[in-house]
Amino acid sequence: MTTAYQFEELEHRVSAAIAAADPAVFDALALDVFRFQRAFNFPYDQYCRLLGVIDDLADWRQIPAVPQAAFKHAALRTFDAKAQVATFRTSGTTGEGYGQHHFRSMRLYEEAVLRGWDLLALPPLPQIILIPTPAAAPHSSLSYMMGALKARAFRGEQHWCIAPDGSLDLNRLKSLLENFATVNTPVLILGTALAFLHLFESIQLLTLPAGSLAFETGGYKGSGRSLSKEALYQMFRDRLALAPSDIINEYGMTELSSQCYSRGLGRPHVAPPWVRTVVTNPTTGLEVPDGETGLLRIYDLANLGSVLAIQTRDLAIRRGADFELLGRDPAALPRGCSRAADEMLTASS
Amino acid sequence: MNTAERAHAIAGACRHFRHLLGSVTADDFLDWLRLELGHDAVLDAFQPIGGQSLRAIPPSVILHIVSGNTPHAALQSLIRGLLLGSHNLCKLPAAGLPEAEAFAAALPDALRSRIEFSSALPDAWLPSADAVVVFGSDETIAHFRALAQPRQRFIGYGHRISLGIVFEDAAFESPPFAARDASLFDQQGCLSPHCIYVADRPEDYAARLAAEMESIQQSHPRAALTLSEAAAISQLRETTRFRAAIGQQVRLWERADAWAVIYDSDPAFSASVLNRVIFVRPLPADPAAALASARPFLSTIGIWPNTSSNATHAAALGASRICALGSMQDPAWTWRQDGNQTLAPLVTWTGWENQPPQRVS
Repeated sequence: MTTAYQFEELEHRVSAAIAAADPAVFDALALDVFRFQRAFNFPYDQYCRLLGVIDDLADWRQIPAVPQAAFKHAALRTFDAKAQVATFRTSGTTGEGYGQHHFRSMRLYEEAVLRGWDLLALPPLPQIILIPTPAAAPHSSLSYMMGALKARAFRGEQHWCIAPDGSLDLNRLKSLLENFATVNTPVLILGTALAFLHLFESIQLLTLPAGSLAFETGGYKGSGRSLSKEALYQMFRDRLALAPSDIINEYGMTELSSQCYSRGLGRPHVAPPWVRTVVTNPTTGLEVPDGETGLLRIYDLANLGSVLAIQTRDLAIRRGADFELLGRDPAALPRGCSRAADEMLTASS
Repeated sequence: MNTAERAHAIAGACRHFRHLLGSVTADDFLDWLRLELGHDAVLDAFQPIGGQSLRAIPPSVILHIVSGNTPHAALQSLIRGLLLGSHNLCKLPAAGLPEAEAFAAALPDALRSRIEFSSALPDAWLPSADAVVVFGSDETIAHFRALAQPRQRFIGYGHRISLGIVFEDAAFESPPFAARDASLFDQQGCLSPHCIYVADRPEDYAARLAAEMESIQQSHPRAALTLSEAAAISQLRETTRFRAAIGQQVRLWERADAWAVIYDSDPAFSASVLNRVIFVRPLPADPAAALASARPFLSTIGIWPNTSSNATHAAALGASRICALGSMQDPAWTWRQDGNQTLAPLVTWTGWENQPPQRVS
């Protein structure tokens, strides 16, 4: 069998799993995706061999996860480079280079974005987007995701408010919000935490029409800024009159195809049914008991073209099948009974 | 107390802290004063220096903002203030710093009363200081620099990078020394090497270094890590394993809960995640290019063998301190920290022009 045939056959099955949002099919499908990826993703197979992992595993938890940084060192794909249709890049910090996530098809990526969004059960709203357009940032997975969400915007209405030079187009944003306020139409405003922070530093109060929502993602990496999630959400309240329950946080990354979401404060992130998350002890690699902190590992069936299992650098508290994100900052660790759960380094990290 | 009396009293207390401060005598302190201020009693009275009569005036009050990672740095800063005769306000990290408090307790009353500790920064401390000395990250230093008044002397000691260079060691005599430098203080200090550059057989050198890291672990185990530190090490370890698996010229030696040595054939410097994780890289023909990212932050280069021609090579890379591998953690009291003197920048001067007036014609 060729890689193309097997890819398409598995793509069909994963697509069906995403459409059905059926967690029951995950276990068997994950093992089939693993076998496929070992057969056709050569660097991943080499890593599995070095770890002494056999092909026929009994449990998806035994599937080796590649460290997130592996995407900086190898082209982790299950297909020929000639078949590639898109590549997303991580932002990369100085001297380290950037990671690349290659795609043979955008079908599962888009289906995961939209089905994951549907599971949030939000009303369709006009979207105001504080993220560069896909044309301006062709290698940004976040920009691509925003483009895909057009299908969930009220009448497909998307308004992009990042100028070509990357700065916030404040005049456009203000006039848009005034227009929506005049006609009393609620909006969904989407951006990175850093973009919102810049917005909050430029405005006193912009009252959004009742029923408006916000979507925020990512941390402050490379900006020299840091802010707790509580402090950021207080600014949402002060500057946009949005309550924490009106704010959706996305946890995603260039190396994944699916997203996890939390809404408001003090709630864990929930993965969609075609994704599993595991929190492990960084020294032993073993899963931690419920309520304890460790490193977050993610198994994403929609990552069919690359690697199913990613070992992230983020710390999280295990909450049943969900997780409470702490991020990478040591200051975000719980101390006693008071906790400053900084939301760090998520999308595009 | 005059300067000589203070020097004796401080040296007496230092005897109990050899593990952090090395061996030091009152004469060492007086030599240090002569080197930086020109005379060992210039804090006590006018002294003839360079054809003038000069007296050094210490800050009445020094505020020290110290970090928890490096108790020896905190002690050195306090000792500078005590030697000058200043009153010392010491802001400790939230978790405290038992070594600093134990040191104060070992001093005679007359000096002990010149140190105050607090884990929070009392409001009155910053305005009352004539000099502010801050150890910490760029953010911490920028924070206090912005708070300091123009009249206050401000000295910031930021995070630095140190490394080792083995120019020649056919018999592999230096790995125990490199292992000591990389293990002391669990690599938390600015004098701890991130990487050892090795001219000949670097991969074999790494294997020897690994054996020495294990031997130090047996006698001086690494302290427990925070989850965040363990997470950083785990990601680097797995990434190294991945790179080795795909055929890159990297190799990992490790004990999962203790130390790691990573041989990487790429000479380009990258910072260690610390806590006894040390890189070994080949010494390239153009080390300046390989070290480009580290050079603005370079502190100490430990060299082997410690010859003047090797020191000249290391100096050309921008190190502010060069020493033998194995002595990286033991700077002399007279060392130029971050390339600067440590006592002279704290004092001000009074000059007395003790000549008779010129005749009014």
